[in-house]
Amino acid sequence: MRASRYTIFMYGAIIGVPLLMMLTVVGLLENNPYAYTVLPALLGVAASVFAATGYLETFAHRRYEGSANRLEEGIASASKMAPRNTGGKIITFVLKRFNNSTKALDSATYKVRATERTTVLGALLEIKDYQDNTISVRCNCRMGVCGSCGMVVNGKPVLACETGALNAAKDEVVEISPMLGHPLLKDMVTDFDDFFERHKSVEPHLYREDTKEKYAAKKEYMQSKEELDKFLPYSYCIMCGLCLDACPVVNSNPNFIGPQALSQAYRYHADSRDQKGKKRLFDVDSMDGVWGCEFSGSCSKACPKGVDPAGAIQLLKGDLMKSLPEN
Amino acid sequence: MELLDFDVVVLGSGIAGLGAAIHASRSSKESLSVALVSKLHVMRSHSVAAEGGISGVLYPESNKDSKDLHAYDTIKGSDYLADQDAVEVLVEKAPEEIKFLDHIGVPWNRLGNGHISQRPFGGMSIPRTAFAADKTGFFMMRSLYDELLSLKNVEIFNEHFATSLIRDGNEVHGFVAFDMATRNVKAFRSKSLIIATGGASRVFSFTTNSYSNTGDGTAMAFRAGIPLKDMEFVQFHPTALIPSGILITEAARGEGGYLRNANGDRFMERYAKSKMEIAPRDIVSRSIMTEIKEGRGMRDKESGLDYVYLDLRHLDSKKIDEKLPMIKEITIKMLNIDPSKLPIPIRPAAHFTMGGIHTDIKGHVMRSSREIMNGVWAAGECACVSVHGANRLGSNSLSQCSVWGRITGMEAAQNAKRVRRTSAKFERMAEQEEMRIIELAEGKGSQSPYEIRDALYNVMDEHLYVYRNMKGMKLAQKRISSLRKRMKDVYVKDKGNVYNTNLRETFEIANLLDLAWIITEGAIRRHESRGAHVVAEYPKRDDKNWLKHTIAMKSIGGVRFEYVPVKMEGWQPEERKY
Repeated sequence: MRASRYTIFMYGAIIGVPLLMMLTVVGLLENNPYAYTVLPALLGVAASVFAATGYLETFAHRRYEGSANRLEEGIASASKMAPRNTGGKIITFVLKRFNNSTKALDSATYKVRATERTTVLGALLEIKDYQDNTISVRCNCRMGVCGSCGMVVNGKPVLACETGALNAAKDEVVEISPMLGHPLLKDMVTDFDDFFERHKSVEPHLYREDTKEKYAAKKEYMQSKEELDKFLPYSYCIMCGLCLDACPVVNSNPNFIGPQALSQAYRYHADSRDQKGKKRLFDVDSMDGVWGCEFSGSCSKACPKGVDPAGAIQLLKGDLMKSLPEN
Repeated sequence: MELLDFDVVVLGSGIAGLGAAIHASRSSKESLSVALVSKLHVMRSHSVAAEGGISGVLYPESNKDSKDLHAYDTIKGSDYLADQDAVEVLVEKAPEEIKFLDHIGVPWNRLGNGHISQRPFGGMSIPRTAFAADKTGFFMMRSLYDELLSLKNVEIFNEHFATSLIRDGNEVHGFVAFDMATRNVKAFRSKSLIIATGGASRVFSFTTNSYSNTGDGTAMAFRAGIPLKDMEFVQFHPTALIPSGILITEAARGEGGYLRNANGDRFMERYAKSKMEIAPRDIVSRSIMTEIKEGRGMRDKESGLDYVYLDLRHLDSKKIDEKLPMIKEITIKMLNIDPSKLPIPIRPAAHFTMGGIHTDIKGHVMRSSREIMNGVWAAGECACVSVHGANRLGSNSLSQCSVWGRITGMEAAQNAKRVRRTSAKFERMAEQEEMRIIELAEGKGSQSPYEIRDALYNVMDEHLYVYRNMKGMKLAQKRISSLRKRMKDVYVKDKGNVYNTNLRETFEIANLLDLAWIITEGAIRRHESRGAHVVAEYPKRDDKNWLKHTIAMKSIGGVRFEYVPVKMEGWQPEERKY
């Protein structure tokens, strides 16, 4: 905005002022005040007004920023007051935007100044807010706990909010694409309906025989630290979908229920408070359940929260083997 | 437009919203039809960012704690603006909620004897904050979501953005929303509606809150003529990370962390000698800002923000791993700071909206200062019951959300069984709202919503932060009014129908502007300093004139204010010293 106003002012000044002078001189020489003086004078005045408006707007903008920049009693206020364009490096962001009418990934390139602290999500939002409002990104907490912003950054499935832009850059370029293992909606945004159904299908909740007592809890269920440690690592799942995106089996056999759901089946199975017992194991005892896993380990590598779905699946397999009747 | 009928509709999916949906469903023995509508995926609401824990008296026999003491701490912490009958409900019901959360799978930290572990928190006289590491809110959300999936009669509507309540006379009949995936407009008609849309701290730029905390439900309620209570009280959390504002839990201080200024002094000694770093949040935030003001802070060159240090270096690194793992993860990932080796740069950030939709003690929404609006409840941060008064104590929010999530869920279900209500005007009003959505989406204008939002940030950060003064607030009033005018000429650039975040954000920014306006107007009128609201011209609490709640209501062409007395149950105001 500011640059364009400044440009208008400059053009106004460069064209308007000489035009006014030249035509006035011509008008005086020709001695025809109406044809050559009044008209150019009007033109000149119009150009000057146009220029002045541009200048005033530029000035008004500066003045507003100036007052916002005033540091009261030496306290830097908490808003973004520091000059944005100092330090850091200019990074090129290549966005693979999913176009829902053509069903293709279109490349779009943007440049953002990034410092050591700029996250990929921060850069995306800066592009969205100030360069191209039409970009869609799903995000919320920006602190790695809500699970919204899983995407593929320079080939790696990550959460954009906890990935540093400079760290991710290769030769000062960051390429971002949506998780292609999920159905796509728009730009970086994927459709989670199928993912949530997979999660729901393993009945991921603490099963208790006495549901009445469960809802009118008078006393906590006792649990030792050792019992807690058995399921705690698997309860960190934020449902970001990165493990499913990385899983080579799901990508070739969509019927395989996938690492996220299986890790959650194990999370409740391993919880000493759960009373579902072996039924939970039998529910995933199939080729599209635990036996579909080929143990590539991609899911555990992709998980941003250190959940080890591949490990959970092997533990489910082990418990299943142990639960078989001896003969 | 699609018309959807439900017995109970819950709008918002944080801890209060999920709880309300679960209890509405359960208490009707899964017989009522319940809808849960959220602008996010329901498990991703901002409650996941709650870290430190949930308050409740669990073991009075072994640690000498009592519900009376919890109530006293809460009321004193509120600077005596909390309704004391509501506080009694909170402390009475909170323990049961912690146990319910245990029963649905929250991985509480445990003591050697298998009991739930509790940690010290700001303003609480006894360690009574139950916790699951420093991801308590996250674990509660996941457990509630998973529990919800076991219920048959709840239908989940992910990523539907609500734009307006439908009110006919003294009843609210539902709301209109559009589906983010398609931009299709849907009208949700309810016998009982529960609003649980969270806080509005995104009116400030430096905030601990998620991007979603734009107070949509609160703003919609206001526009529907529902009164808002005590909106001028905004909590600033003392320790938010530079420069992003990401929350560093109060538990870091509860577990023994120090605050230090540029000289390395533990400055809290000067402000709250007995409680030190775990004094209530309003006091600690002011202390930090006083240190900075008097030149004992440091300045971050890149962001221009002044800060002090949160020092965890003296804590056992095993303790950090067991009780504060997320803090370590965040500081390392965001700033490359290992809290065992380096102090963490922090300053106060907007954190919690103490005020909100005016409700009675059961969460029933009011239509005037004293009369009830039929068919609608509010729970969680968007509601003002009020249990937090002028300053919330840390860990009381998770208990508030749990307690009133359950109460409103059950009340709404009861009501839905009883009433058979129709409104002749519903469809026509919903169609009008659909037109308004389409007009904004497809219309023309000249103003960028993001530039308006940035200007609002500047105003709020500068004039309605920890320390306020009349001159600044009046300037803010003028600027917000001109921003509201600019908003009328706003332009949505993205003309697509699929996942149009530009459109959603434009509605959100309009909500922020409305709420910023009410916050500022309320703050200008309250001529005293109480809790989180501190005005240079009126530095003292004034119980004679101001022991009362602010009620803001829409009027023709503006907002009008009324005041209602605080409900007292025997705790008399005393000087607040820690």
